[in-house]
Amino acid sequence: MFRRFAISGILLWCALDASARTRQHYGGTLRVEVQSDPWQGPDGIARQLTMDGLTQMDTVGTVQPALSSRWESQNEDHRWQFWIRGNVQFHDGTPLTADAVVASLTQSCKYGCPWTKVHAVGQSIVFTTDQAIPDLPAQLAQAKFLISHQDAQGSLEGTGAFRAAGFPNGVMVFTANDDHWSGRPFIDTVEVRPRRTIRDQWMDMSIGRTDVVEIPPEMLRQASQQHLAVLSSGPENLLLLQLGSTGPLSNPQLRQAVALAVDRNALYNVIFQRQGEIAASLLPSVLSGYTFLFPPERNLNRAHELRGGAKPSQLTVTVEDGNPAMQLSAERIVLNLREAGFQVQIVSFGGNMQPDIVLKQIHLETNDPWAALDEIVQSSGQRVSIHGTDTASLYRTEKDFLATYTVVPLLWLPRAYAISERVRDLHLSVDGSPIIADATIEDVK
Amino acid sequence: MPCSRYNPQKPMIVVRRYLLIALAVAWMGGVLARADGADDRTQPVADLAKQIASIAGPGPAKLTLRNLSSLSPEELPGIRKMLERDLRSYGVRVSDADSATTIRMTLSENTTGGLWVAEVQEGTEVHVVMISVSLRRPNETQMGVGITLRKSLTWQQQEPVLDTLTVQSADSRRMLVLEPRRLVSYGMVAGSWTKEQEFVITHGRPFPRDMRGRLLEGQGHLFYAYLPGVLCTGDQSEKLLAVSCSDSDDPWPLSETSGAQNTVPQKAFYNATRNYFTGVLAPGFAMQLPPFSDSTIFPRSNGMAMLFNGIDGKVVMVENNMMKSVTGTRDWGSDLVSIRSGCGSGIQVLVSASGAAPMDSVRAYEIPGREAVPVSPPLALEGPVMALRPSQDGTAATLVVRTGTRGQTQRYEVYRVSALCN
Repeated sequence: MFRRFAISGILLWCALDASARTRQHYGGTLRVEVQSDPWQGPDGIARQLTMDGLTQMDTVGTVQPALSSRWESQNEDHRWQFWIRGNVQFHDGTPLTADAVVASLTQSCKYGCPWTKVHAVGQSIVFTTDQAIPDLPAQLAQAKFLISHQDAQGSLEGTGAFRAAGFPNGVMVFTANDDHWSGRPFIDTVEVRPRRTIRDQWMDMSIGRTDVVEIPPEMLRQASQQHLAVLSSGPENLLLLQLGSTGPLSNPQLRQAVALAVDRNALYNVIFQRQGEIAASLLPSVLSGYTFLFPPERNLNRAHELRGGAKPSQLTVTVEDGNPAMQLSAERIVLNLREAGFQVQIVSFGGNMQPDIVLKQIHLETNDPWAALDEIVQSSGQRVSIHGTDTASLYRTEKDFLATYTVVPLLWLPRAYAISERVRDLHLSVDGSPIIADATIEDVK
Repeated sequence: MPCSRYNPQKPMIVVRRYLLIALAVAWMGGVLARADGADDRTQPVADLAKQIASIAGPGPAKLTLRNLSSLSPEELPGIRKMLERDLRSYGVRVSDADSATTIRMTLSENTTGGLWVAEVQEGTEVHVVMISVSLRRPNETQMGVGITLRKSLTWQQQEPVLDTLTVQSADSRRMLVLEPRRLVSYGMVAGSWTKEQEFVITHGRPFPRDMRGRLLEGQGHLFYAYLPGVLCTGDQSEKLLAVSCSDSDDPWPLSETSGAQNTVPQKAFYNATRNYFTGVLAPGFAMQLPPFSDSTIFPRSNGMAMLFNGIDGKVVMVENNMMKSVTGTRDWGSDLVSIRSGCGSGIQVLVSASGAAPMDSVRAYEIPGREAVPVSPPLALEGPVMALRPSQDGTAATLVVRTGTRGQTQRYEVYRVSALCN
């Protein structure tokens, strides 16, 4: 199954990466359509285009310098110092300073930050923490830590490869930043058309009105049937159940029963059309190499045993992202749980009521296994203690966390895009987002 | 006074002797490679056996082995045999028969390399031990028919390589590796290149994304490093290199091969914010050239000609102060170089493949008229060509290839590409 995923999901990526290379042409306009608001969410495309982080991941997942040109850890990873790259300016001309970076990080991370304190020392930034954070450079590459500041009009300005140039006729326009510290992007302009349904995006692609559109994982098969040129990532989004440790599921045995009752095969085969990878562990196989140690099989008899005839009060399930595939998945899981003897109902997300079970997707932004584990656990509102740096320690940490049954991994899903024939050199970063600054347009000579 | 002499060597004996030596070297290489491969596995297997034995203790055990990694199936029996031997030394007697102790060994891998996992089950209790191992990639060679291009690996590293150059000064020989951010010098110590010095390249304005650079031996200095908007010079002082870099718009010397001595050396202005030459040459040809990504000089029946690979995909040739279009270049990529091979017409132009090709390659062409004619099969490469430069003696090319895909660490491999006459 993993092999099939690897083949279907990464083949195009590999092919593109290994293909011949004519040097990139400069110029042209790339047209992108997205379902969401490009400024919303840490990985919104507008933020990715206009902002940089202190560090960044290259296409193979190695941490590379970005706005920080170098860094070092002190006091056994309890203190980190990052030096700011010189001669960098925000798009409004304000110089990038250590104070501006600290202000941005403080604004973007108000709680649950990896660090305890961050402050500027000259042209460097110092992070201190109670717990050792060996993977801080990898964590700082996450989109939520992109650096920005507010200009005089109150708009957010970044230092990124593109600068926001306007919003005419419902299209967000971004132009190349000639002075970008990493070199000017090859494309002159990026036009982002927001809030387009998948159906509209695909329609526009078919009539040559756009160059990059989104493909939900469950529609990857359909995209290949329609002969769309697909750019697909590896496992990027983890579909999981987050179980409350208070209320009806306060008993760990009941939480384990829930975990054993879920039929991952049905989700994988039916709803997600055999795209992705069935997961019973938090890290995907490509990062850990030991996923086979976590059996994903459903065990209804054991679930009944663990429930022990107890009839807990009615459980509530909610879906964090209400797209159709997620909604269908929730309905399927509710059926699974009823088969195990639970009384379950789906409730809408939000409001005052605290649901017992939340179905959600977590987007993985890093290729570093420790940072990835941190990221996933943190997104469920918890923390893990790191002991050791080898794979065996990683396994023990993950196993101990999963043994609490507060998080039940279900599937790893890819991120995918269809691209038009005129787009070249467009690759996906380790978090599955397109690296537009390196892309070129074929018909520009 | 007469001196004693041996009979002259007979050619066939010499050939046979060399053939035998070559075969022996090849056989030794194969043996050493296999031994090396086995050595790679010996220690991890021993470590894992020790961990397993500490859990299972002496006595009988059932061992199963499965491979989820990219290791070839042929390696499994050897690994199993080593593991059984090492376990035996701790008193663990392995068999295929059912036993109270079961050892399930899985050969897996992740982004950092191989991961070997053993699950030791005693009753319902399962203990897991694991170790990380390196996965070695076999070397591959590519041969063809007609004029055959051959590549031999001269250097590899993880950091991007723009160019390499070997310089000889006084009593020392050095290899220089130009990277986007630094220049590194290596000295030959006990038969291998050992890092000596590194110099950070300072620059006033940002470098372009598709970074290029050239190392050249020169007059006045030991070497020059040309980068977009930056010129570095290097000299030797008391056995150490001294490198000085400054912002510069000086034109870059264009590729030249031996045999071009009678021509005026041309230099070209490089667009410091892009990845191509502007088309302005010094001293130039009294004509407007289009912006181009690469150029080379090669002899023709009526003198020397220069080829320019335009960024618009068109290739032009300047010959006798006339600019002519070259046809047959549809499959050409951006990088080209001419080499004095001695095969065919004596000189071929080596060209990278166009971006439309599924895999990158380098192919030899000759241009008898205005049409480029391929004279070799493509030399397949494991990744895209990042730079193609003439070797210092002009008989071969220096090729930089980026290998590795997502999930792997990318490497920059430097090859010497030469032509074999058939």
